[in-house]
Amino acid sequence: MADEKRTPSPMDRVWDFFTSVKLAIFTLIVLASTSILGTIIEQNQPLEKYHQIYEDWAFALMDRINLFDMYHSTWFLLILVLFTVNLTCCTIDRFPKMLKVVRNPRTKLDGSLEKSLSLSDRWKKKGTVSEWTGKYAETLSGSFAKPKVTEDEGQVHLYAETGVASRFGVYVTHLSIIIIFIGAIVGNVAGFKGYVNIPEGEAITQVPVRGGTLIQDLGFTLRCNSFSLETYPSGQPKAYKSDLSVLDGGREVVRKTIVVNDPLQYKGIWFYQSSYGQAGGGATAQVAVARKDGTPVSMLSLAANEPVPIDGYGIVRGVNYEQNFQGNGPALQVVVEKPGQPAASFWLVQRRPDLDRQRADSLVFSFRGLSSKMFTGLQVAKDPGVNIVWLGCALMVIGLIMAFFLSHQRVWVRLAQGTDGRVEVVLAGAASRNRLAFEKRFEKLQTGVKATGQ
Amino acid sequence: MSNVILFNLTTVLFGVASAMYLGALYAKNEKLGVMGTWVCVLAAVVSTAALGVRWYESYQMGIGRIPVTNLYESLVFFAWSVNLFYLVVERKYRNRTFGAFVMPIAFFTMVFAVYNDSSIQPLVPALQSYWLHAHVITCFVGYAAFAVSAGVAVMYLLKARQENAKISEGVVGLLPACKMLDDLVYRAIIWGFPFLTAGIITGAAWANYAWGTYWSWDPKETWSLIVWLVYAAFLHARVTRGWHGKRAAILSIVGFLATIMCYLGVNLVLSGLHSYGGG
Repeated sequence: MADEKRTPSPMDRVWDFFTSVKLAIFTLIVLASTSILGTIIEQNQPLEKYHQIYEDWAFALMDRINLFDMYHSTWFLLILVLFTVNLTCCTIDRFPKMLKVVRNPRTKLDGSLEKSLSLSDRWKKKGTVSEWTGKYAETLSGSFAKPKVTEDEGQVHLYAETGVASRFGVYVTHLSIIIIFIGAIVGNVAGFKGYVNIPEGEAITQVPVRGGTLIQDLGFTLRCNSFSLETYPSGQPKAYKSDLSVLDGGREVVRKTIVVNDPLQYKGIWFYQSSYGQAGGGATAQVAVARKDGTPVSMLSLAANEPVPIDGYGIVRGVNYEQNFQGNGPALQVVVEKPGQPAASFWLVQRRPDLDRQRADSLVFSFRGLSSKMFTGLQVAKDPGVNIVWLGCALMVIGLIMAFFLSHQRVWVRLAQGTDGRVEVVLAGAASRNRLAFEKRFEKLQTGVKATGQ
Repeated sequence: MSNVILFNLTTVLFGVASAMYLGALYAKNEKLGVMGTWVCVLAAVVSTAALGVRWYESYQMGIGRIPVTNLYESLVFFAWSVNLFYLVVERKYRNRTFGAFVMPIAFFTMVFAVYNDSSIQPLVPALQSYWLHAHVITCFVGYAAFAVSAGVAVMYLLKARQENAKISEGVVGLLPACKMLDDLVYRAIIWGFPFLTAGIITGAAWANYAWGTYWSWDPKETWSLIVWLVYAAFLHARVTRGWHGKRAAILSIVGFLATIMCYLGVNLVLSGLHSYGGG
């Protein structure tokens, strides 16, 4: 081509720079080596912690180049941008060329093509070109792929190919990376990540957004009905469970007990079990109330010194708790005030629920233990880009399989009437990858084609 | 527990197989190599049984779960994968000399495992997910493929020196031709790369389902990305820039060192979300 000779313009040079695989390899290696830094220096810790570890000058330097949050730093993002630009330019540069080659394959085995192929064979046959064309076309159809027949200047060319899709594998893979990046950007722009603690029995309508001072309105109410912790017999944690309710428009629309690895989702917002702890406000004592004959009346939850009324009876208060009351284990001291009577004070021992019968009162109390109010800690996330990311991931795996496990294999047969009256046959083949495997396939094909018509 | 006894037996078998393959090379004794293969097959049976028994025993203890969740289990699973991947390669390439370079990796992994706590511990809530199976299996097939590639890359470097000097003697003289070794370095990586990719993706999917973030630049995640980037660079260099031979072999070894860092180094040296090194 004539324009290959002209000196490249500065624009061409820029284009060449961004479309070079050298740049791609360089960027991959730079990304890999800089990424190591962030795994050695613990990221996003409080600044005081870094002050303790590093000398002042080192701290100042590292802080300046954002090494404490390097994966979100401008320079790291710039490398990612360079990577993406390189990827895009390579695709724009090469995809049309590839498409052209795939759409208009070289169906004629001319001299120059034949020379460039390492796998070829030639022989002669008695008969006519058209007779052998039919026979060989049939053999190729049977053992390789249906060939395309082209006639040119008395020669007949058969061309057959398999695994064209392998040519697209690399583009599918590259496209998948861009799709993943788009998904990540959508998630960052249109989504949010937050964290919230909800004490048992309480509800939230807002969530503080992570890494900032913003507050995100949920648009509905989330209530934590209860939290529980299950342990294995050895005492190791087995499950963290939060019983959650979503209230929308004043009524409960969803209720679900979530555990780690099983979140709750409502209106695109996900709630993940993440943490737990004891809520403030101290413990409450659980006291069961029953009639003399044993029929239960109610279960009281007594906060320290808080009076709780019982209809037609009086007021009950929990005033004291002992872990081991006179060697009998946990016990609660209760004060009962009935109208017009002096206050009565007595101990309820958890291990002996019938002890209170000795008082010969109309109601019998038994202490069921202390329970402290817990809170559940939830990660909250809205990420409208996440399905785009999964689409990219699926495409990446498909693209890699196409690129590495398929091979574009091409086979040509050329037939021409020789000067001695016989038909001169040339067989040649090429594969885009895994040439060793193709060599074996070609050998078989060679034997099969040669044996045709015998 | 009986699974540990079976794993100890596996360790011995891996050691015997390594010795036989090495012996076959040094003594130029083919019979020893054939015996090595049979020991490898036996080891595959015993270690598979051991994994099954361990799985079963975890159910008996009332904490039933797949045995790939702590350092001990992940090491034996890695050795198991390497052994199986090796047997496939040996069968496909009809050459036993690889065994002398690959089986010691499985053997020393098991020796390292023996020095770790082998008790069956219950799963912490974070690991109770079906994603665990897909994530661990894909990652480890990838790791095993990279291990085989690096073992063959070492063979290549040894062999290439002799071929350059146009000599063929001693142990190295018996190794397959450079062309074949070079091809195998590459082939193992094109098996490992899609599996590593799938491993990273299943890990991301799991992370997203467990705490709502598919990527958080945790050291383990970052190192898996580093490994991915190194092999991506290898593949680009190989396919489009014709990096064959020595440079490709060195890059394969660098990739495997990064893999070891990702697999063990992160847990033993750095801190992060993957539990099995911390305990």
